[in-house]
Amino acid sequence: MMDKKNFYFAKSHEWLSNYSNNDYRLGISDFAQSELGDIVYIQLPQAGKQYKKDEKIGEIESVKSVSEIYAPVDLTIKNINSNLNETPELINNDPYGEGFIAKVELHNPTDLSLLMDNNSYESFVKSNHE
Amino acid sequence: MNNKNVNINENENKNKKTPLYDKHLALGAKIVSFAGFSMPLYYKSIIDEHLNVRNHSGLFDISHMGEIIVKGKDAGLFLDFVLTADVSSIFPNTIAYSLILNENGGVIDDLTVYKFSNESYMIVANAANTKKDFAWIHTQMINLQKSKLQDQSKFQDLTVENYSDKIGLLSVQGPKSRNIIYPLAEDISDNYDKSKNNFCNIFNFQYNIKPFKELSHFEFSCIKFKEINIEAVISRSGYTGEFGFEIFVSADDINKLWDYILDNKELSNLTPIGLGARDTLRFEAALPLYGHELDETINPYDAGLEKYLSKNKDFIGKEALEKIKNKEKKLIFFKLAGKQIPRHMQKILDENLKPIGCVASGTYSPLNKMPIGSAYISDSNVIPSSLKNFYIDIRGNFEKAEVVNPPFHKMKK
Repeated sequence: MMDKKNFYFAKSHEWLSNYSNNDYRLGISDFAQSELGDIVYIQLPQAGKQYKKDEKIGEIESVKSVSEIYAPVDLTIKNINSNLNETPELINNDPYGEGFIAKVELHNPTDLSLLMDNNSYESFVKSNHE
Repeated sequence: MNNKNVNINENENKNKKTPLYDKHLALGAKIVSFAGFSMPLYYKSIIDEHLNVRNHSGLFDISHMGEIIVKGKDAGLFLDFVLTADVSSIFPNTIAYSLILNENGGVIDDLTVYKFSNESYMIVANAANTKKDFAWIHTQMINLQKSKLQDQSKFQDLTVENYSDKIGLLSVQGPKSRNIIYPLAEDISDNYDKSKNNFCNIFNFQYNIKPFKELSHFEFSCIKFKEINIEAVISRSGYTGEFGFEIFVSADDINKLWDYILDNKELSNLTPIGLGARDTLRFEAALPLYGHELDETINPYDAGLEKYLSKNKDFIGKEALEKIKNKEKKLIFFKLAGKQIPRHMQKILDENLKPIGCVASGTYSPLNKMPIGSAYISDSNVIPSSLKNFYIDIRGNFEKAEVVNPPFHKMKK
């Protein structure tokens, strides 16, 4: 299991993880991908665009359902993971690694305190979905 | 992330469970509510399960489906009146696909009818419709029996019973299905004591035995599973567009049979398959699904099912259908160039973005790796046969679709 010490989770199941300075990766959690099932399409956010917390940044579609993806905090999209256009199943196979959605810059890194750490997120998922 | 689908868990407590529910949980299935039952949507992946059925074989729990038993000397005559297909004239041990219509010609359900003998039939109905079908059939029986217009002797030797809770139903589908069923099952011998209290006798039927390895498509027989000593009715039928079997057993025996088949899964690379892949498989084969291609506002001509309307007899709905001159709508099939999946009830738009119909089914084809669907074209100004391209309003995106001839998958011979 991957060490998720540096991961911060939103109640809507997106994660942010720091990889250098103020640069973060954004993705959806392992729980979220398992709930969706086989992902066949993702509408990625626009590079360069700014989003407010809880604003819709994209859409994920599996064989059986469609979900919206939200910005967990105020942020700007720096790059998108364009591999997902051709192989959206990377999100199923490696949600915290190759299946990340975008590289983002946080407007206020202190906003991370609004999110859950891995342990809190795991208890959140357990208490809400079991 | 916010899942926009209906909350599939909300009614789970009120739902019925098939006898195999705990097996599904133990296999890690994602459980959803379907037709009032808590059912496995998938065990690991809809796409993997789908491809396993296309390439090898798969095991489905479809015990949610309904079984209605119709017995008596007048059973054939009665069913011929209630159903659109000729039922009384087919051979024993064969199955007929049929529609059941209301007086307006709308489809109450689509179903299969198993003829055990001239006096005993089993109707296999969609789970969501079993109660409705049973009530409808029962009411027709009472009405006919009371009718002063009818010959009083008709329809008196007749019973209609709902056996759905007593019968479990498994389906083994895929090109390798023989490899697992042949070694595990055996014919019931000719000198078998049919008066014994065995499964094939639970309906209190006269029945015939045919060697099960010789069954053709839409034929059935009674068999026994070796080692576990469980009797079953087995038919060459299914809902996937593949070679396969459907197996009816006592609800009390189905757990044992499920385990017996899974214990031998290596014989045919068999895996359990959920309802998700059942839907993608049936749709690639262009088989209709009640609630999508069929409902009470749709008539058999709309759905392209006129070949199941018998010309040899009268049946409920026939008079109304004869008055229908112009088709009100027409079912078409399509594929998309984009990647977004069309969903039930989304709008179909012509090249000027004028609405001309609605999506019936929309899904992803694991075989062709693209979104596919069916739609009802309801605009009378559109000639469906000349329609080549159109748009689908998928949550505000106008996605281009191309009309194709079904099915999307044909069984390899």
